[in-house]
Order: sequence, then structure tokens, then C-alpha cells
Amino acid sequence: MNFPANWDLRQRLLLAILIPLTFVFVLNVVLDYRLAKETADTAYDQSLVDAALDIAAHIQSSHTSSLFELSVEAEAMLRSDASDHVYFAVRGSDGRLLAGDRELPAAPHSSGTPPEFADIRFKDEAMREALHRVRAHGEEIVIAVAETTAKRDRASRHILTAMILPNLGLIIAVFLVVYFGIRRGLAPLARIEEQVAARSPRDLRALEFDRTPREIRPLVARLNQLFDLLREASAAQQRFLADAAHQLRTPLAGLQTHIELGVEEGHFDRGSERLVHVEDAIARMTHLVSQLLAYARAEPSAAAIQPFEPVPLHVLAEQSASTFLDQAIAKGIDLGFDIEPAFVAGIPWMLREALGNLIDNALRYTPEKGVVTVRSRRVGDLACLEVEDDGPGIPAAERERIFERFYRIPGSSGDGCGLGLAIVREIAELHSAGIALEEAGGCGLRISLLFQGRDVAGTAAEDAASRPSPGPRTACTACPLPGYGEPTTSTGS
Amino acid sequence: MRLLIVEDDALVALGLKQSLSKAGYTVDLATSAEQAERFLAAEKFDLALVDIGLPKADGLALIRQLRGRGSAIPVLVLSARGSLEDTISGLDVGADDYMTKPFRLPELVARIRALIRRSHAVAHEELCHRDLVLNTSERMATLAGAPLDLTNREWAILEALLMASPKVVSKDGLVQRLAGWDKDMTPNAVEVHVSRLRAKLQPGNIEIRTVRGIGYRVDAEQS
Repeated sequence: MNFPANWDLRQRLLLAILIPLTFVFVLNVVLDYRLAKETADTAYDQSLVDAALDIAAHIQSSHTSSLFELSVEAEAMLRSDASDHVYFAVRGSDGRLLAGDRELPAAPHSSGTPPEFADIRFKDEAMREALHRVRAHGEEIVIAVAETTAKRDRASRHILTAMILPNLGLIIAVFLVVYFGIRRGLAPLARIEEQVAARSPRDLRALEFDRTPREIRPLVARLNQLFDLLREASAAQQRFLADAAHQLRTPLAGLQTHIELGVEEGHFDRGSERLVHVEDAIARMTHLVSQLLAYARAEPSAAAIQPFEPVPLHVLAEQSASTFLDQAIAKGIDLGFDIEPAFVAGIPWMLREALGNLIDNALRYTPEKGVVTVRSRRVGDLACLEVEDDGPGIPAAERERIFERFYRIPGSSGDGCGLGLAIVREIAELHSAGIALEEAGGCGLRISLLFQGRDVAGTAAEDAASRPSPGPRTACTACPLPGYGEPTTSTGS
Repeated sequence: MRLLIVEDDALVALGLKQSLSKAGYTVDLATSAEQAERFLAAEKFDLALVDIGLPKADGLALIRQLRGRGSAIPVLVLSARGSLEDTISGLDVGADDYMTKPFRLPELVARIRALIRRSHAVAHEELCHRDLVLNTSERMATLAGAPLDLTNREWAILEALLMASPKVVSKDGLVQRLAGWDKDMTPNAVEVHVSRLRAKLQPGNIEIRTVRGIGYRVDAEQS
């Protein structure tokens, strides 16, 4: 059977089973009906013949041949029938009517073997007629008995309903059984479909194989091979990036060292504007190279192959103090911390990278003598990592765009490369974390990373074991932080 | 002080050698892990500066081998790979600190100095920072040659800060450290001890910096 190519398996199976099944049922009904009808007709025919035989017996017992009379009682009995009219005619060999209804035709019946039957029309009604021939009083007497077909029709209707209703019931029952049977049988397929559908592009784990029915194992195996290839490809890409970064960084290190040496040895004028530009260019190049590497490594394909584990946000925040203190001191910025224990399940280096980028951004864009505060805390079910500054803030219109790669707010003063927040967004998405941007204290900016409820380290460890597919973007659309006003939330596009 | 630089890139190696020589160190150069092994086996160095991306055996393998045979030499890893993952794997195999290329020389020198100070404190029971010397075996402190009178708690706090410098030490960490003498030590009490320490260190121009919300840090010595 050919079905449209886009039909699903369930439709195909249902039709492939039900169409022939319905055909078999119809054939069954037709054959059963014919058999039952034949049986009923034979019985009714027999009673017609019996009537004819009664008349024949009566003729043979009478003494005259020319004319015989049926008693009124006998005729009434003969003609009595609850639903049908009964007619009869007795004729001699020359066709003269001896008794009964003159108009009843005695149709010549071909079969010859008695009793003879025929379907006739008489008085505008369809009738069944039986003929019986007897020899009496020296001639062949033909007895015809006919009746209307009311009870035969009624019997047909009865038989038909008695046949069709149960068969119809059976068809419906079979349909239901087959339908649910197919559903059940196809459940493993549906499960695999759900598994694949629920996946994010970064989830490249193999599909469950052992609990899959034998018939679809080849398909699942091929899918898993594909996932393997994708994983390998992303690993290869990551290796390439690591190599590229290495190749770029080493000459940069050489350049940096030799310029510093040159300054030391008096080859460059220490305060010259040109030297400042050169050092600035090297610093920006250095920053860009390391940000590019971080961005590439945080990208879904590369990140998919790394396991989640419990990460204490408060430890990350505390460690970042040593990393960023000198940068803050150099700019006269008061870098402070407000740390409460909070755990999430995540990739440690990525979360550190995200926090580092937030702090780095705050330090870059906050003017000298500013204040930057790093917080870790729990807010209801959420674990929260946030960085607040008293810098120029971000206009509401720019709040979505700042997460784009290489986007920089027009006229902004900082010397960032435009990748920092894109990295943060990638990492937040991978951890199903929401990003909230708010104005802090009249001006300035507070960026919060809001991670879905991971209570304690223990829970986080369990979660890490059965790593949740970092499913659909579970943005924290309403940020339930007290007194924060209307936050702008983003988990990226 | 004698340093071994293990770096295969000539440009970087030469720059490092010249810079560190200028900073007052005696510097030897190895261009492979194998050569570094021979150097380290034959002579005594105060610190090894190891690039991870070496030809043949890489820097991590070299460190693993060093630690495997019980060497306690401070190792500062230099890497161009630069992700924090690598940092961790570097520290896991036994490196003491880690810097990503490219680096600023003053920061590199500060890190080298801190590492050497720490290993010196262990090996020679002497902790030095600028004019300050803590003799840990005799529990004697001098500031610019003059004896410095410190209480047990002040001593413990200063020792912890100097050992960690230029890293930040949390107040909670200090409370735990002092718990040996004083079960009821609180963060507030730590603050009192630190302010007394600051007064005592004032003449030596040694600053204990407060890191808001975490604790304290003694800044690295500037070269």
C-alpha cells in the first residue's frame, strides 16, 4: 500500500491494518447474510409446499374431479397468516380453474422437480409461489399457492441487523485495540523523538541505546554516530583554537617583553606618547586574543563535551578578589565583596570566566575612584552572582545589544573588545541562567546572573551526575529580588 | 637567586632571560623538558619558570616528573593556552603559580618574588618582605633591622598574610588560623589585631590593605 510520504507511522499502520480488515468484515457480513436468508427462505418455502400438499390431499380424498369445494373453515385456515396474504389456485390439466383465485398465474416452472417455486408479481405485489402437481381422477391437477413476501422481508431485515450490528461493534473494538496497540508499540519511538526534540543544539550526548527496540536500533546507532562525529568536530575545533591562541600569544609575549626591556634600557622615551600607544595596542591585542579563545570555548559545540559539577559561587567571588585587586587599585577603584554561600551545578572555569568578564567590564567602564561590588547570594530558589558599579550605566535602549559580539556602546569610554558580555551570555545560556540588568543607585549598573535553584552542594552534585539538558531558555523573566524595580532580563536571543 | 627558564620560543626566552637578569636573578635557559631535567638534576635552582607548550614532553610532564622525584623547587607555569582549565591542570600536577602569556614583567617579577619568599620561608624558616623579616624558627621579627614586638595572634596574622601575598586572605580564613589559640576568635577581633599590626608596621612602610567584604592583603613588593 502506498501512503503519502509525510504520513506518520501510526496512520500508516492503522490504515494498513484497518482497510483489509474492514473488507474482510464486509465479505463476512455478505456471506453470513446469504446463508441465513437461504435457511429462512427454505423454511418459508416449505410451509408454502405444505399448504399445497394439504390441498392435494383434500383433492385426492374427494370424489368428484370436475369441481371441488374447500370448506369455509379449511379455506380460512389455508389463507390465515399473521402478516402475509395467501392465494391459491387449483387447475385441471386443461387449465380450467377448479378452486381458488382465478387471476393467480400458474407460471410454468422449468425445474420440473417438485416442488417448483417462482418469484412472481400478482396484484402489484411481489410474491413467492409454489406449484404442486398431483394425479387425481384421471388427470394432472396443478395446485399453486402464493403468498406476499412481508414475513420474508421482515426476516431479511432481522437477519441483516443481527449480522451487521455485532460486526460493526467488532470493527470498532478492533479499531480501538489496534489504535492503542500501535500507540503502545510505537511508544519507544515517541520517547526517542521526545529525547531528540527536547535537546538543545549543545547537547551532543549519545541517545539511550539499550532500552530501544531492536527495529529502531540501527537508526539510533546512526544518530549516535552522528553525535559522535559532531562531538569530535567540536573537539577538533577546540584544539585548533587552543593551538591558534598559543601561536598568537607567544609572539605577543615576546613583543611585550622586548618593549618593556627596551624601555628599561632607555631605547624608548619612557613618557612618549608613541610608547603609550604601542603599549595600549599590545594590551588590547592581548585582551582580544584571550577573549576570542574564551568565547570560542564557551560556544555550545565546544562546551557540550564538558561535565557539570557543583560550583560554590562564593568561592569564585572570593578568588576573583586576588585576580582583580591590582587592576582596581591601578584605577583607584574600591573593589569590594558581599559574599554569601550559594551553589550551582555548572562548569567551574566557565562560571569563573563569566564572573571575571563582569568584573573586568565594571572596572573598565567605571571612572576612577568609583566603587565596584561583587556579590554572591541566594534569592529564594535562585543562586545569584552579581556585579554592581557606580559607573555611567547602560541606557535602556542599549541593554539588548550589549550582548552582541563586538558591539560597543557608541561613544563609550572603556577600552574593551566587545566580547566580554557575549561570553557572559553564552555561559549563562549554557547554564540556563538568566541575566538581569538594572540601574544601581540612581546611576551605575548591576548585572546579575540568576541560576535556577540548586539548594546545597549535595543537590548540585546529584544534578551534576544526571546532567540536565540545558533545555529551553529558562529565562528568569521576573527577577524576584527585593527592591530592584523593573529589571531588564535577557538570556540572549 | 638562581632561576631556570624552560621555554622553547627564542624570542620570549631571550626577553625573559634579559629582563630577569636585570631584576637581579641569575638565569639559565633550557629549551626542552629533557634539557631542563639535566639542569635541575645537576644544579640547584631557587625557582623554575616552565612553559607548558614545549616540544616533545610538555611542561606539565616535566613538573609531574619533578614532583615525582620529590623536588620542592617552586614552579611558575607560563602558558599560551590561557584558559582557567589549564591553570587548574597546571596547579594539579604541582605547579605553585600560573601566568598566561603575554604577561607584564613587573607582575611576573612580583610573582617570582612571592614564590621564592614562600619557599624560602619553608626552607630557611625566614619570611622576608621589604624591610620586614620574620624568623619563624626563633619567632623573632625585625623591621629595618630593629626588633619588632608581636603578640602570638599578630604574628599568626602577619605570617598568614605574608605567605599568601599578593593573594587576598579572608577574615574567615584568619579566624580559623587563630582558632588554635583562641576558640572565641571573631572577625571583629581580627580587625582589632590587624589595626594594631598596621600601627606597628607603619615605620617600615608596609601596608596591610583591606579588601572590602573579604579580608586583607599585603601588596606585592614593587621592583
